[in-house]
Amino acid sequence: MSSPHIVGSKDRPIREREPPPKDRRTAHKWLNDKAKEEYLGLEEKGYELYISKLAEEKIRNHASSTSSDRLEVMGLLLGNIFRCNGNEYALVRDVATTDLDSSSVRVRFSRDGMEKLFASLEDAGFNYLIVGWYHSHPGHRCFMSPTDVETQRGLFNKRFHSAVVIDPISKEIEAFYLDGSKVKSRPFAIYWDEFQNPYYGETVRRKRLAGDAQPIKANRR
Amino acid sequence: MRNAETGSTVDMELEEENTVQEIIEGAAGYWEKDSGAYVLRKGKRLLRGQQTVLDAGIGNSDDLELIPDPEGG
Repeated sequence: MSSPHIVGSKDRPIREREPPPKDRRTAHKWLNDKAKEEYLGLEEKGYELYISKLAEEKIRNHASSTSSDRLEVMGLLLGNIFRCNGNEYALVRDVATTDLDSSSVRVRFSRDGMEKLFASLEDAGFNYLIVGWYHSHPGHRCFMSPTDVETQRGLFNKRFHSAVVIDPISKEIEAFYLDGSKVKSRPFAIYWDEFQNPYYGETVRRKRLAGDAQPIKANRR
Repeated sequence: MRNAETGSTVDMELEEENTVQEIIEGAAGYWEKDSGAYVLRKGKRLLRGQQTVLDAGIGNSDDLELIPDPEGG
């Protein structure tokens, strides 16, 4: 019996595409002051990572769902890689996750949860790439632990791969990537598609119009 | 087989007795990945390491995908 052997291979070409324009992107509302400054510094140049509003909400809701028990959560970032003016960037459209084996300091996909994960990949509805992963550090702030760095080195070692770390208790989020052997912070933007609600992170109140009924004032005697 | 992290694909020649573990090792080696950190899927089904090509029902022109199995801490 011989071992499996490879008889052909093909790389996926990177398509040219403009990143989301300025009027359809914003900073994440949980960025700390330093990260917000870095975000503002790249507004003109653009970012290497854009996360859709949908994916961001799923990550935040997932992390918040177990924050009272201080359990970590984790999932995969689904998206694509594009190139614009010679610069590559990753666009995260959605996330996929499943049942987890987790504690306050460790998280993995449950061995019995793999088929549920695969079902979400099958149902993604687009030809995705796994452009990174996210996980939470409930109450521990955002950083890359030795285990996280090991995972990044072993699985997500391309320049475009990102690790998003979120702390739902401190309300912080940060993305990281590997630059050679060093872990670096990666400024990122939240984007939305044209048909989505652009008022990310803001309360929208209806403007009072001239014909609107005036509020009834109580008579004072 | 497709590498879900890069979109690269490889065509592999298999024998009925080859195991899923050997398939993962072959592809992971080609893409310079740690085979222990990946799982293999065929559609929604997880292919288990000790299953053979015959047991797993892998046929000609089946699309398999190598999926990362991360650990966070």
